Amino acid sequence: MHEVSIALGMVDELYRIARKNNAERISSVKLKIGKMSGIVTDSLKFAFDAVKLEHPLLSRAEIIIEEVPLVYECNDCHVSFDAADIYFPSCGVCGSRNLRLVSGEEQHIESVEVTD
Amino acid sequence: MCDACDCGHVHIHEHPPHSPLTKGGQRGVKTVDVNQSLLKANNEAAVNNRQHFTDRGILAINLISSPGSGKTTLLEKTVEVLKDEISIGVLEGDIETALDAERIRAKGVPAEQLTTGGACHLDASQVHKGFHFLEHHLHGKKLDVLFIENVGNLVCPSFFDLGEHVRVVLISVPEGHDKPVKYPKAIRTSQLLIISKADLVQYFDFDISKIKKDALALNPSMKIIVTSAKTGEGMDEWIEFLKTNLKQK
Repeated sequence: MHEVSIALGMVDELYRIARKNNAERISSVKLKIGKMSGIVTDSLKFAFDAVKLEHPLLSRAEIIIEEVPLVYECNDCHVSFDAADIYFPSCGVCGSRNLRLVSGEEQHIESVEVTD
Repeated sequence: MCDACDCGHVHIHEHPPHSPLTKGGQRGVKTVDVNQSLLKANNEAAVNNRQHFTDRGILAINLISSPGSGKTTLLEKTVEVLKDEISIGVLEGDIETALDAERIRAKGVPAEQLTTGGACHLDASQVHKGFHFLEHHLHGKKLDVLFIENVGNLVCPSFFDLGEHVRVVLISVPEGHDKPVKYPKAIRTSQLLIISKADLVQYFDFDISKIKKDALALNPSMKIIVTSAKTGEGMDEWIEFLKTNLKQK
C-alpha cells in the first residue's frame, strides 16, 4: 500500500524536474526498481496511472520500469552472482553467507522525457 | 484535470501510446537524467529531523510492528520505569483516534497524536510537524528520548526513514515465529527485535530459537530481546538497551 505514497511523492518530484527544465509536459518516466526493493511494480504503475490524471503535466506520462536483479558478491571467494533466494542467499561457489549486496534494492527515477 | 480545454473537469482522453510530439527527435522533446531516489523528499526530511534531534541531544526511536503487538504497552511500562530518571516524549502514529496518546499522557509524559487519516505509515514530514507540536507541551524542558510509535503495520513503515537514530521492530508471540521471513524489510532495517508477549509462549506453537535464527540470518547485527510486559521478563534488558544508546549519543 506504500506504493500510493511513493506515487504521490513521485508526482511532487516530477513537478520539480519539470519546473527546472521549463517543461510543459512529461511523456515518460524511467524507473529502476530492484527485485528486493519491496516495491510491487504493478501496484506502483496502477497508483501512478490513477493519480496522474489529476495533473495536466503528467496525464499522458508513461512509466517504464527496469527491474534490477538481485546481485551479491561473496566476501570470502569474491565471486559475483545473481541470487535465486531473496531472503537467505548463499554463495553459489563456496556456500558462504558472508555476502555484500551489489544491486537489487534500487528505487530510483533514472530519467524523464519532457516536452517544452 | 482536463489539459485540453482547462475546464476543471476530469476527462479520460483516448491517446495512442505515444503522441507524435513525444516521439524521439521531435521538436522540444528531451530526456533529462535524474538518477535519484523515489523517496528523495522523505529522505531529505528525515535527514533534517535526525540532525534536529542530534543537535538537541535527543535519542529518537522508531517503533514498528503489526497492530496489537504491544508497542503502546511497552511504552507505558518504559515510562513507568524511566520517567523520573530521563525526560521522555512520545509521538503516536495511528490512522484514527487519539487513544494511544491519551494512554501515554495518563502516565505523565508529553505525547502528541499523529493521525494519518488513512495512510498506513508515518513519514518524515509528519514527524517534523508532530515534534513541533510536542515542543509546545514541553515548555522549554529538554527531552532525552523521543519515541515515535508508528502506525501498526509491518510492511510500509519499514520504507520510510523518519529521522530516527534507532529502529525497533516488535513481533508478538501470537503473531507466529514466521514473521521475519514474511516481512524481511522490517527486520533488515531495524537494530533491535523485541519478541513481545513471551508469557503466552506456552499457549502457542511459537519457536523462539527459529525466530531468532531467521532474524539473524536476515540481519546478523540485530539485537534480540524477549519480553513480557505482563511478567516483566526482558524489561531490564530493554531499559539497558535504551540507556546504552543514550550514552552513545
